[in-house]
Amino acid sequence: MEVMMLLVYDQPGVMQRVMGEFNRKRINVETIVVGKCEIPDRARIVLSITDREKAMNVLEHIRALQEVIECDLVDQSRHEAYALLSSKEGLCRLTGSVQEVEAIVSKSQPEKYIQAMNAI
Amino acid sequence: MKGARAAVELLEKQNVEVMFGIPGGVLLPFYDELVQSDIRHILPRHEQCAGHMADGYARVSKKPGVCVATSGPGATNLVTGVATAFMDSSPMVAITGQVATHVLGNDAFQEADSFSLMMPVSKHNFRVVDPKLFPETMKKAFLIATTGRYGPVHVDIPVDIFQAEITDEQMAKEVRVPKPKRNLEGLLDAIKLLETAERPTIMVGGGVIWSRAGTEIMRLAEMVMAPVVTTLMAKGSVPENHPLVLGVCGMHGRQVANYALNNCDVLLAIGTRFSDRVTGKLSEFGAKTKVVHVDIDSSEIGKNVKGRVGLVGDAWTVVNALIAGLQKRKKSPTWKQRIIELNKECSCDYNLKLEPLKPQKVIYELSKNLPDDAIVTTEVGQNQMWAAHFYKCYGKRMFITSGGLGTMGFGFPAALGAKIARPKSVVVDIAGDGSLQMVSQEFATAVENDIPVVVALLNNGWLGMVKQWQKLFYGSRYKASQFTVPTPDFVKLAEAYGAEAIRVERPSEVAEAIQRATKSEMPFLIDFVVDPEEDVLPMTPPGKTSVDCIMGRCPWKGGVC
Repeated sequence: MEVMMLLVYDQPGVMQRVMGEFNRKRINVETIVVGKCEIPDRARIVLSITDREKAMNVLEHIRALQEVIECDLVDQSRHEAYALLSSKEGLCRLTGSVQEVEAIVSKSQPEKYIQAMNAI
Repeated sequence: MKGARAAVELLEKQNVEVMFGIPGGVLLPFYDELVQSDIRHILPRHEQCAGHMADGYARVSKKPGVCVATSGPGATNLVTGVATAFMDSSPMVAITGQVATHVLGNDAFQEADSFSLMMPVSKHNFRVVDPKLFPETMKKAFLIATTGRYGPVHVDIPVDIFQAEITDEQMAKEVRVPKPKRNLEGLLDAIKLLETAERPTIMVGGGVIWSRAGTEIMRLAEMVMAPVVTTLMAKGSVPENHPLVLGVCGMHGRQVANYALNNCDVLLAIGTRFSDRVTGKLSEFGAKTKVVHVDIDSSEIGKNVKGRVGLVGDAWTVVNALIAGLQKRKKSPTWKQRIIELNKECSCDYNLKLEPLKPQKVIYELSKNLPDDAIVTTEVGQNQMWAAHFYKCYGKRMFITSGGLGTMGFGFPAALGAKIARPKSVVVDIAGDGSLQMVSQEFATAVENDIPVVVALLNNGWLGMVKQWQKLFYGSRYKASQFTVPTPDFVKLAEAYGAEAIRVERPSEVAEAIQRATKSEMPFLIDFVVDPEEDVLPMTPPGKTSVDCIMGRCPWKGGVC
């Protein structure tokens, strides 16, 4: 899994524009996290895709977008995962290394869950 | 001041001399302010043509063309014009009106989400929802259109922004956009490759036209003894009467150009994106070649063809850097001599006096009779390929065509825009009857605004290129490619709009008709009734290599390209 981190302007239409590039290149985005960050009026997008070659191909196209300030792949060692699990016992929140989170999710077989990559 | 006044002042400050647009409900405050402006306004009869006119104007003047359309259908009509400019990297600022912000998203009358519609077909686009940001948005639009790789920028302006109050402070706000970074790390590698090349070839693309690097490229070509092939978009960037310039390459290119492209050992590709119409089968293209790829847009390097060396920068700068760096050149004129010989031999020996009139004859006569500063635009299809193949571009001649998007109906409005940008030059649209019928209403614009362009119509009564493909690849099963009789009488059609027109059916009448048309002070249509059986050959079928080239009557003797 490759994780890409973007610093973008925090305004309407930015997500559509960024995702449009992935759409055009026929790349399925596996997980995506967007949120405010340390700089006012900027946001970070952290997303993951499976194929490294595809990630490298799309990188320059994302960087060319006017509303994207930075875009880079994040080193494997900084990949993290989080998940939110729902089962009869209630909600369970997980954060940790990718392997840890994956192991717990597959072991606990929850009714519903959402799992995403994160990195900084 | 009101937003509408601000809009006009912002356009004036950008030195906009002419704009092409059609008003509508939400644009009326803006048009009301235009009454007092010196900006020339051209009223096309369809928004798509407003886009193409601005595009044609931009390609000649090298300044961003401005086009305007109203909300909803105006914006959807303009999409084709913007997309055409985008694919050919033409600078443009496209303004659309939009319904008021308080009803935006409520399916108001004439509302369309033009912001989303334009997003994938423009370099960048804005929807102004805060009047405070309106002046800086307009300034940014012009900057983005002309920074780095040129392209169209769309600004969607809701009607209440035109009515809102804008302060002087907001008007005075300076803006900046980041310049694309140059990356010339591979320069030494590139120089080394060029210095040691046995059979170097230079391939130039549309970027060279925008960067005006033709002269420098010819200097470089002479230094390394390399032939120069152009893509369709680069036609006119280098003089086609120079012995080292081989003309247009690709699907319908000249055989000698494709030969040089496929048999070189080092390919220096400048300002081109390796379109599939040039490369044919991508996996075979450049397989034996070391490619040095120069482009201003870093995302183009390695997109289609993985080169040995990528240099990011504008053509003019990089070519000059290469010239400065080249020192010891292994002199081996064998390749150069062979190419020059082949180039001399690569000329079609069609009998141009045959009847019915051959379309090639018309292009040949245009090439012979047009002045050295003529501007030729083309529509899309067979007319375009014949023009690219047989028309010789040198001196101050320009060749304007929709290469990327392949928009039928581009040439006529683009010719009008070109003529406005350079009124002293003869401007000729080489048209087909299919394409012209998509935009024939613009004769009204041409006559109304006194824009005397020549339309050289190659009238064969077919969607010729569709017919050719049906003939070659679908067993001559023609469907929906012939215009069943009676097709319109184009002479009467042009005359109905107040333009001059004549019909030419004999080869002997062609030259005289062209001379008469270029001297006319009215828009002028020549209806060349040409042989419908004529195909554009040679042709490399899509996705194939030169081995599969369909030669037709081509007398090429240079071997497999």
